[in-house]
Amino acid sequence: MTATKIPSWQRPVSIAPLVTFRIVFGLLMFGSLLRFVLRGWIDTLYVQPTFHFTYWGFEWVQPFAGAGMYILFGIILVSTLMITFGLLYRLATILFFLGFTYVELIDVTTYLNHYYFISLVAFIMIWLPANRRYALDTLLWPVIRRDKVPAWTIGILRFQLAIVYVYAGLAKINSDWLLHAEPMKTWLPARSHLPLVGPLMYKSWVAYVFSWFGCLYDCFIVFFLLNRRTRPWAYAVVVGFHIATALFFPGIGMFPYVMIVATLIFFSGNFHERLLSWLPGYGGNGTNAKAYTFSHPRAIQTVVVIYIVIQLLVPLRFLFYPDNLFWNEEGYRFSWRVMLMEKAGTAYFTVKEAGHQRATSISNATYLTPLQEKMMSTQPDMILKYAHYLQQDYLKKGWKNPEVYAEIYVALNGQRSRLFIDSTINLAAQPLSWRHYKWILPYK
Amino acid sequence: MKSTRNWLIAAAGCLLFGCGKDSNSGGSTGNSTDVFKKNMLVNYADTLILPSYSDLQAKLILLETATEAFLAAPSAVTQQALKLPFKNAYVSYEGISAVYFGPGASQQLNNTFNTFPTAVTKIESGIQSGNYNLALVIASDSIQGFPALDYLFFSANAVQQFNGATANNRKKYVKDIFARMKLLLTNTQNQWAAGYRDVFVSNLQTNVGSSIGSLVNQFAFEMDALKGPRIGWPFGKQSNGIVFADKCEGYFSAYTKDLSIANLTALKKYYTGGNGNGIDDYLILLGKQQLNSDVLAQFNLALNALNAIPDPMSAAFTSNAALVETAYRETQKLLTLIKTDVASATAVQITYMDNDGD
Repeated sequence: MTATKIPSWQRPVSIAPLVTFRIVFGLLMFGSLLRFVLRGWIDTLYVQPTFHFTYWGFEWVQPFAGAGMYILFGIILVSTLMITFGLLYRLATILFFLGFTYVELIDVTTYLNHYYFISLVAFIMIWLPANRRYALDTLLWPVIRRDKVPAWTIGILRFQLAIVYVYAGLAKINSDWLLHAEPMKTWLPARSHLPLVGPLMYKSWVAYVFSWFGCLYDCFIVFFLLNRRTRPWAYAVVVGFHIATALFFPGIGMFPYVMIVATLIFFSGNFHERLLSWLPGYGGNGTNAKAYTFSHPRAIQTVVVIYIVIQLLVPLRFLFYPDNLFWNEEGYRFSWRVMLMEKAGTAYFTVKEAGHQRATSISNATYLTPLQEKMMSTQPDMILKYAHYLQQDYLKKGWKNPEVYAEIYVALNGQRSRLFIDSTINLAAQPLSWRHYKWILPYK
Repeated sequence: MKSTRNWLIAAAGCLLFGCGKDSNSGGSTGNSTDVFKKNMLVNYADTLILPSYSDLQAKLILLETATEAFLAAPSAVTQQALKLPFKNAYVSYEGISAVYFGPGASQQLNNTFNTFPTAVTKIESGIQSGNYNLALVIASDSIQGFPALDYLFFSANAVQQFNGATANNRKKYVKDIFARMKLLLTNTQNQWAAGYRDVFVSNLQTNVGSSIGSLVNQFAFEMDALKGPRIGWPFGKQSNGIVFADKCEGYFSAYTKDLSIANLTALKKYYTGGNGNGIDDYLILLGKQQLNSDVLAQFNLALNALNAIPDPMSAAFTSNAALVETAYRETQKLLTLIKTDVASATAVQITYMDNDGD
């Protein structure tokens, strides 16, 4: 071995962590998407709505008509099993990444941080040699089998998890979370039906314990997972913490399970070798000790560094916006801000013809599903998109220069509701922008 | 140093695992530990919801008796004798309008009893041909329930119609309406008795379909209906200020104002839980005294604003527009409080969808 010449990020390490990750990620995605289908959410989210809150620049991403969405989900489901079994792995990961991301891009309403996480991980997995061992691909083409991979292929997944945890932790360092224990103080009494711990849910100190522990956990768990000596304990805490969150906040869906499964990547190659050896047909080490190497290591290195920089910067873009982040939600998405606030709003829209020849109040239910209305009522960019849609709709109805006004009341983290945006501004004339929307009223 | 750190981590792990296990062991057995919520829901079921259904059943029977007298000898006198029982039954209905979940929703109670405006042309053609289906779910306007009775009993030439060429068909139509209403109401009561009551009082969660979730969401929905279909739409809020007086609730009998006040009064009673524990007491338990007193004050402001509108409301839409506008604004303020502040404070969810908690 000429170890001195190989940089540490390219050092060959056991492929086993990648193999475990491939199998459990594929299975979890299969279960998660099957749950989605069985709950009828394809219909609720992608068939029923007549209007979708598209992402800026992705307006062309629309749901497929007829059975199209069901076919798309069928393809994604098949791809998850192909990933699990390592069959045509590159094709499977590309299908999964494109399919899943397409679905997520249809409507901002359904944005969840862990969906974003899944898209990112799927993108990374396209480039990883996770099918080079214990996969149908190696059965079909034994020559591709490798027992070692460059260290960075595992490191990049650990990095992605570290980003999620640390940024989620940093986001919790704010006065609402730490000093007022909000939104925990609002949410926990709703869980008073739980056996044994139920009565504690009304206690203020319990909300503080949840808040502080959650913050410390998110900020530091990665470092204990990275340390070999603390790792088993840290993983026990991961499992306990996420099972607890699943029990207390069932609304967050698959997120706890995604994290429990994904954090397995922190364990060593030896651990994963032992884990996989319990599976049928997992041969011992050493039959082909050849290490996997990328054909263009320089290019790969550059891409990985760019990716890392982007991941570090994107969650910080909120720093470019004034006023309160929770109120404005400018730079809020794609930043690992999970379970941070209780925010609710009620929005009354009025469309007026220029010169006010005609005016009508809008019944949001005619345009939006209850979930879309709820999400729109508190998020400025969605309010603007909806206003533009109303403008288009009234243009079609033959109105001249329809103006759109909105009287919106928002309550944030246990405070009373108050006027959210300037109700005298014609939203139809306001452009979508990366800059601060001046029509949002100041938080204080 | 190292041993201390390991010990700390171990302790943290135990704490969390213990937490997880405790919660897990009880799982979904539903062994409630929250006496307050349980009592509140028992109060809702036993002293508010179920008696309201019984009251409506009783008032419907009284109305049916008066109707039989009217149908036997249709005249201005028997028609006049219908007015009070009709008002009483309709007002009683407003007392169950807000509990449109569980059996009431599965029986399509509100949809059948009170979709307005009345589909006058459809009703007349149904009577002419004898060909109509009351079991169809109603889309926009209604051929049955109170809005149909309102038209059949109290439209301008109602008495002549019952003595005219289609009298027999017309009388059968009225009887069919009663049969449909009584069937669905009885089904609803039976389902509550046959198990839904116990499900209702033991579900202490706040997600969609839970008892507290359904109550708060329906309060908001009902407030929205008061602001929209009951007042705002006939008032012209969706029609460029052009009044559609005949689209209001109880247009022909001119009980519009009584009905909207009955609706809001019932809503206030559901909010306070009457003499027992209600959402108001729950807010106080959560430390939201100010919100609760503001909601109660807003209820009174909205009720006073409605009361200030002179009868009949269908005429006031044009003759006293400012008073109607005030009532509309006060109703909207109350809706905002319930839909935003109360729903948020009680952590009630509106959909089943997964969320990031924002």
